Amino acid sequence: MTRIPLSLSINGQTHEVLAETHRTLLDVLRTDLGLVGTKENCLEAECGVCTVLVEGVAVNACILLAAQCQGRAIVTIEGLAAPGQLHPLQQAFIDHGAVQCGYCIPGMILAAKAYLDESPEPDEYGVREALAGNLCRCTGYQRVIEAVLSAARALRASPTPASPETAS
Amino acid sequence: MTQATRIVGRSVPRMDAPGKVTGTALYAADFALPGMLYGKVLRSHEPHARLVRIDTGRAARLPGVRAVITAADVPDVRYGGSVKDERVFARERIRFAGQPLAAVAATSLDAATAALAAIEVVSTPLAPVLDVAAALSPGAPLVHEAWAIYTALPILHRAGNVCNRARIVVGDLERGFVEADRIFENRFTTSSVHQGYTEPRAAVAQWDSSGLVTVWSNTQLPFEIQTTLAEILQIPASKVRIIVPGIGGGFGGKLRIGMEHFAALLAMRTGRPVKVMTTSEEELTAAYARQPAIVEVKTGVTNDGRLTAREARLWFDTGAFAGSGPGVASVATLMLAGPYRIPNLLLEGFAVYTNKTNFGSFRAPSGPQANFAVESQMDIIADALGLDPLELRLKNIVREGEEGPTGQVLTAVGLEECLRRAANAIGWRERRPEAGRGKGIACGWWTTTGGSSGVYIKVNPDGTIALNTGAAEIGTAALTGAAQVLAEDLGVQLTDISVVSADTLSTPFDFGAQGSRTAFAVGNACRAAVADLKRQILALASKHLGVEEHTLALREGSVAGEGKRATLAELARISQASGGGLIAHGTFVAPPTAYDAKRVEGHVYPAFHSPSFHAHAVDLSVDAQTGEITIHRYVVAQDVGFAVNPSAIEGQIEGGVAQGLGQALSEEIVYDSGRVLNANLTDYKMPTALDVPRVESILVEHPSLVGPFGAKGVGEPPNIEPPAAIANAVASATGVRITSLPITAEKVALARSACAP
Amino acid sequence: MSFDYHEPTSLREAIELGARFGGDGRFLAGGTDLMVQIHRGRVDPRHVISLQRVPGLEAIAGDGTISIGARVTHRRLERAPDFQGALRGLIEGARVVGGHQVRNVATVGGNIVNASPAADVVVVLLALDARLTCLGPAGERTPALDGFATAPGVTGLGPGELLTRASFPRLAPRSATAFLKTGRRRAMEISIACVAARLTLDADLERCQDVRVALGAVGPTAMRARAAEQYLEGRALTDAAMLEAGQIAAAECRPIGDVRASARYRALLVATLVPRVLARCLERVRPEIS
Repeated sequence: MTRIPLSLSINGQTHEVLAETHRTLLDVLRTDLGLVGTKENCLEAECGVCTVLVEGVAVNACILLAAQCQGRAIVTIEGLAAPGQLHPLQQAFIDHGAVQCGYCIPGMILAAKAYLDESPEPDEYGVREALAGNLCRCTGYQRVIEAVLSAARALRASPTPASPETAS
Repeated sequence: MTQATRIVGRSVPRMDAPGKVTGTALYAADFALPGMLYGKVLRSHEPHARLVRIDTGRAARLPGVRAVITAADVPDVRYGGSVKDERVFARERIRFAGQPLAAVAATSLDAATAALAAIEVVSTPLAPVLDVAAALSPGAPLVHEAWAIYTALPILHRAGNVCNRARIVVGDLERGFVEADRIFENRFTTSSVHQGYTEPRAAVAQWDSSGLVTVWSNTQLPFEIQTTLAEILQIPASKVRIIVPGIGGGFGGKLRIGMEHFAALLAMRTGRPVKVMTTSEEELTAAYARQPAIVEVKTGVTNDGRLTAREARLWFDTGAFAGSGPGVASVATLMLAGPYRIPNLLLEGFAVYTNKTNFGSFRAPSGPQANFAVESQMDIIADALGLDPLELRLKNIVREGEEGPTGQVLTAVGLEECLRRAANAIGWRERRPEAGRGKGIACGWWTTTGGSSGVYIKVNPDGTIALNTGAAEIGTAALTGAAQVLAEDLGVQLTDISVVSADTLSTPFDFGAQGSRTAFAVGNACRAAVADLKRQILALASKHLGVEEHTLALREGSVAGEGKRATLAELARISQASGGGLIAHGTFVAPPTAYDAKRVEGHVYPAFHSPSFHAHAVDLSVDAQTGEITIHRYVVAQDVGFAVNPSAIEGQIEGGVAQGLGQALSEEIVYDSGRVLNANLTDYKMPTALDVPRVESILVEHPSLVGPFGAKGVGEPPNIEPPAAIANAVASATGVRITSLPITAEKVALARSACAP
Repeated sequence: MSFDYHEPTSLREAIELGARFGGDGRFLAGGTDLMVQIHRGRVDPRHVISLQRVPGLEAIAGDGTISIGARVTHRRLERAPDFQGALRGLIEGARVVGGHQVRNVATVGGNIVNASPAADVVVVLLALDARLTCLGPAGERTPALDGFATAPGVTGLGPGELLTRASFPRLAPRSATAFLKTGRRRAMEISIACVAARLTLDADLERCQDVRVALGAVGPTAMRARAAEQYLEGRALTDAAMLEAGQIAAAECRPIGDVRASARYRALLVATLVPRVLARCLERVRPEIS
């Protein structure tokens, strides 16, 4: 199996990786780069736990080849806020009891962020629809929806300046 | 709630949320060690076969492959819960499609996958026993020919393909049916459903030079896994250490041994750490999903709606190994009685072997299946007698101080309040607001599983607290709840407490995160530990401050009395310097619940401890042509005893209902000739955010005598009533009664078109 | 198994690679089909040819004829301003596919070439009389979408050929489109049955001048309900007529039973969804009357 050199931009930092061509972005993130905040489960784009942002757009990292990602700005949950700080979405998830086992949460938060970036005044249906690709087995989605709506209000009140990590 | 409390009873944010929202919380699936190898399991394609030969030579020589093991490489041990009928790998007989045959460890997952493909299996297919009916038919092949010589709990009633028959007998059944004006006989079936946790089962094992193996895994029961793994490896339990870094959902599917034995055996063989993780396909074919069930209920009732007798049987397809089956069959009998006063009972639960995966425990095991049957029948009865389903239930539900089906005395019975408040909230007076729309109600009861829990509490030099517990946090916030109890009793803030958990070597024994017991038992263990700690604190303060102990009080992190004061921090430092530190120990085990042993046979679970009671009500519409169901409102009223953390409990209810709606409407593991047809998340249909309605939770509090501040177990019950509530509402909306799960739009539409003139 | 990864930067290079590798190669667009098939072991290519840097495949354009580039994602389709009006059926078909993550990368071209009989956007394009443009070593051709897929997963795409766009004629006046699907859940769902229609009313807004009804997931490929169409042409669109069209469509479809649904239920759904989708088109053409 041939390994090719890849230059990946993750959370504003460049990582040089040597990886087989068939390796997915998810696999490289977790195994080569130790970024295990992005989770793995079905590996077939059915559950959403592997959601990352590629140029601000929510995608499933499990069906994206690492090789496809050169030159594209990728944001994972680790890059959502500076160390020690919380993005309003993260704070809202805590405050609204939207977290139970937590395994779906990184993907859920990033999917929500991508959605709020383009729909800053969402309604409940819009949030549900935006998160339909993120399965959660613990919460029944209710407090997740409330957290996202609350974060939307908070962001409208005081917009978060784009951090270097999240600027696409 | 009549008590004035500072922290318990409040919806404080859970303690582990910040780690989870930042992606820094570690799960077993994330865990890795330097030099780690990757393991994979080869599973059989045949549901039933004689295993002739496994050739691993070619696989072992592939690049990157460091070990290939089969039954020949592991001790010849049969293990299991109530029946020791399981092996790590099939030896001479393959008993389900998906049964482990071999395992490999390699330097990459790709190399391990390639190795699996290179293992040659020679087997002779045998006629599979496909379901319960086949297993029980005369002359059926035996799934376990040697069943009679297996070690098993003596209390079980086993025969051939039946690995347990649990039974409850009360009163005089024949007379009870004679007394009835009407007798109703109905049959129901349910499908297997998977817990659907989003984190696959995973284990990383490493041996040290002393012969101790450490396994990091996402098990709900680290101490049980320690025992089982020791048995499998034939080493003392003290040589097995299980650590749970974090669990991404369990729901009972991570109770029994998962990947730990494969990881340990491969690590032993290779001398390197090995990680083994399941795929979605493995989860849907070879995990501990919920048993499919057949339920037959015969109930006698007077014309004015008084239940006089019930004869009911529930057959669980327990799969190729007994596993949880015998226990679940026992619990089922209590659920078949329902929370009702029925003086004459014959209730039986059967766990039956078939050639399918050994199904296991899934949130309220036996609950949804039994409740679907008996609560559907209650509505059938109400309809036939011209009675309001709510009134029929209120007439027959057990009351405070009355008996449960096995003779236990029921206390803190909050069921009437649950029923009335749920019915009120859903607008029960208008049960059919418009064409195609109807409301349904269902109620039930459940247990708070016993078993013991121990904790250590120590005071850090800065006055903060470390809580050391053997329990694993599976996502329910149970450990936050226990910490709330600790904080309340000790007079500290929740933010003062750090939790260390789930390490069989360094944390005290805990019976495990199962049966809705964790907050209850660990909370009570904390109360005991705090009592011990307070004694130590006051004794030390008395000595240090030179005043009598009885003049001192501990409040808000300080001990004060007679004008003198010392902070917890000061006392901790003093103790650390001169006494080894302020460390307290607390244990709790629920007192056994008295019951009438003459009423039960083959019964592993004869009483419900600190039982909870609950009622669900739903308002839905059914599309007249497609049969699609739209839920307008869903209400749950649950007697939680005392709500330690209302928001966390509501989260359990919301999630439990969502999961229950999956079983009710869209989820099923579909078998054909012993093989799963939909072993992927494309075709195993769990509810998405667009499928789950808002759930309105009403927390009812009839405090238990035993639980911390009166709390009862809360996690499992919300899974129980959704199928029956939906079935009853659909019947109300359409006149069509669906008696099998899931209640798909297809079933409703085709049933209606069959009824159409 | 691993593969060689190629990222051509021109159409010509992409086709050249496709021709060179033949059956050993696969084009990669969004990956929502190919990557899943690789994961399930159904396909094992030696070469993967990513199209992400190939220009000229992403335009939504046109006046007389509207064309959708093969690499247009479902996300862009669902937001295309041009399709908000009479072509609304395209948006309805696009937005029910997968979830946001899938729609953000899954392409129209990939959907067509994957040839699932349940492909939602394909069903709408069928109702729009779409033609495809395929570019290969032998040059360019424009087969009709209807008949392009011959069996589940099988299309008329030749060796080395690349689908570059789908095109359809602009709608006549007094026309509207609509799309409906059903599944066992409301998202992340492969249709149990789906229906699209393009309806054109006559000048009096009473009768059907011209109609296309396309069905998905009820045959080996997405299909036109031709007998239903013939029934409707020239007829007044009463409730009874639309119901009858549904019955006819149900009789002419060829569903199978599988783990998702029985054949009988699929036929029932066709009988139900066809009148509903026609009624929706009717509403859109003459909102004041409906």
